[in-house]
Amino acid sequence: MKRRRFLSSVAILVPAAIVSTDVLFSSCNRRVDEHYFSQENITLLDEIGETIIPATTTSPGAKAARVGEFMKVYVTDCYTAEQQSMFWEGINKIRKLSKNKYGNEFSKLAVSQKQDVLRSLENEAKNIKKSNKESSATQFYPMIKGLVVFGFFSSKPGATKALRYIQTPDSYQAQVPYKKGDKAWATS
Amino acid sequence: MGNINSKGSSENTFDAIVIGSGISGGWAAKELCEHGVKTLVLERGRDVKHLIDYPTMAKDPWDFLHRNDLTQKEKEDNPVASKCYAFREDAMHFFVKDKEHPYIQEKPFDWIRGYQVGGKSLTWGRCTQRWSNFEFTGPQRFGYGWDWPIRYEDVAPWYSHVEKFIGICGSKDGLEAMPDGEFLPPFELNVVEQHLKESILKNYGNRYFVHARWAHLTQPNQIHLDQGRGRCHARNLCQRGCPFGGYFSSNSSTLPWAAKTGNLTIRPFSVVHSIIYDEQKQKATGVRVIDTNTKLATEFFAKVIFVNGSALNTNLILLNSTSNRFPNGLGNDSGILGKYICHHNYRGSLGGEIDGFTDSYYSGRNPTDAIIANYRNLHKTDTDFIGGYTTYAGARRNRNDGETYPEQMGAGYKESMTEPGPWTVYSYVQGETIPKEKNHVRLSTDKKDEWGIPQLITSVEYDDNDDKLLNDFFVQTEEMFTKAGVKNIHHSDSKQAPGLDIHEMGGCRMGNDPKTSMLDKWNALHHCKNVFVTDGACMASTGNQSPSILYMTLTARACNHVVEEMKKGNI
Repeated sequence: MKRRRFLSSVAILVPAAIVSTDVLFSSCNRRVDEHYFSQENITLLDEIGETIIPATTTSPGAKAARVGEFMKVYVTDCYTAEQQSMFWEGINKIRKLSKNKYGNEFSKLAVSQKQDVLRSLENEAKNIKKSNKESSATQFYPMIKGLVVFGFFSSKPGATKALRYIQTPDSYQAQVPYKKGDKAWATS
Repeated sequence: MGNINSKGSSENTFDAIVIGSGISGGWAAKELCEHGVKTLVLERGRDVKHLIDYPTMAKDPWDFLHRNDLTQKEKEDNPVASKCYAFREDAMHFFVKDKEHPYIQEKPFDWIRGYQVGGKSLTWGRCTQRWSNFEFTGPQRFGYGWDWPIRYEDVAPWYSHVEKFIGICGSKDGLEAMPDGEFLPPFELNVVEQHLKESILKNYGNRYFVHARWAHLTQPNQIHLDQGRGRCHARNLCQRGCPFGGYFSSNSSTLPWAAKTGNLTIRPFSVVHSIIYDEQKQKATGVRVIDTNTKLATEFFAKVIFVNGSALNTNLILLNSTSNRFPNGLGNDSGILGKYICHHNYRGSLGGEIDGFTDSYYSGRNPTDAIIANYRNLHKTDTDFIGGYTTYAGARRNRNDGETYPEQMGAGYKESMTEPGPWTVYSYVQGETIPKEKNHVRLSTDKKDEWGIPQLITSVEYDDNDDKLLNDFFVQTEEMFTKAGVKNIHHSDSKQAPGLDIHEMGGCRMGNDPKTSMLDKWNALHHCKNVFVTDGACMASTGNQSPSILYMTLTARACNHVVEEMKKGNI
């Protein structure tokens, strides 16, 4: 059934930022190896992830889903050199902003401070998008946000606790009553 | 041509040889074996046993290292195969790796292949609409190509035969453009699909949005249980191989059935180099096989040979089967072999959003689409192009993507993405293409593959009929959807190369006249009557429907003809 071509197999919208192969940083054509993903960096990614997708009373967050580990594999294996370059530039931006504005590492900030750091990147991305009409693929925040969302909702905690997931349904029921608050299926 | 290793011809002699174990080869094996014909199936790839050799069938999304996305290395190593929607972590072991099977693209052509027992029947799309007489008479009525030597009435009983065995779900709609068949209950339409169906019928009267016909066991009959298959559970993971045998494949169905008769021998790792033609007897006597592991050549002999290597491989084998009698390929007096290659136009997709219907959802994962049966150029040419198209269509509620949530982080953002979003409607086209002489395949004169077999050159391109058909699909579908209340409609032309449709056909077409065709009405080579071609290579035109069930139908029909001829002593 060919429809699969047009929908993500994990029913998750992966933003164009992730799959774009636009060549944006011609100076860097060296693929990054896993070295950059030190434990410290993986922890940072978990913290960034947890800020975007926190644990709530109803379901775990990005940390429980180990999005840092996932991003390590995905960025290393699936990103082009240009995308990796953009990714690390963004990580460094977050580090810098945390130090400059709050005088501390991102992981050690209060939740509201972490949100503030990411929010300023989000706004910067929005403004550039509005003014230059450049593709959002050029901006770091949509890329990492999309990676966190993708990594979370395709993880076991994400798919089974935040969403509904059954590996083997009984059958297809085409018309099932839906009420607000019913969770979406994790896969299609 | 390498070492001959004929281990005594009696050990290597069968009643019939079938080249290829895919969707049509598996059917040849089943029909012949059921009638007591000792059959050798030659498969160039490895064995894949039902259930045992489906390594990913029980995996969850997080079991895949990259969540089923491709790595850069996989894309670089497989520039062609990685374009296929199904070439992912969960099923790429059922596709050939580009480097292992080179071919030459004179013009861009994405040749997607599955070389293992079962072939592409493991990963196929499973849509199975019947042809109508509009398709069988199209070339003759509208003056493109040559007439088919058969009509719907010739194949109708064989469609039934195949449908009953493999299990086809669908609804009886009484449409002239898509005849009904032997159906199990259909996958039902969801509320938006139901709405589209009603809107299109109300606004057009002669356009039908219906359940398509799919090779899924929604409600198995005894014959399916006897095959060891069970009900489809709507996992929509078919390309991995199904734990229930819920969809049709050679592996779950026809090959085990043939094996039960005791008349089947399958030899994997056996690529066919050429068919042996005996100039004295004026018929084929066997095939030359190269073992893909040892590179040793062996000959096998039989009274009848079925060539089901998949359309382009069948052309390759026949082109490579040269002799004094047939210097241009077996049976190729006409010079037609390898020419008039055609495919399906899959470039177009169109979709949008629709308000409302939010008190409805679905459960289970629908492995099928609905379709709008072809409504173009049926009785007459009513457009600026020739041919017709099937429109696959449907509606889904994808998970909310959170894009409109005011704060792009935090608990509220996360919760917003845990609910289904608004309904979206999608469609994509399967368009007929017109066979043209210049679209062809031929053998390289200097490049060979690792088994010493000439590489194939593909030279196929689109024409402006394809562009016009595509445009009609966009215009008509947008209009139908708009009238149904679909908004924010966007469409795209993927501009994909021919071949990515994985419906390449032709090159060895059926026809009444041996001067302009290769095969007679029974799918036998006009000039070598014990060689039959019943895979995609035999197609004289493409129609708009998914072709695999026609290949299976023609195979069953040809095999039963062969059995009759064997009983009469003619073969």
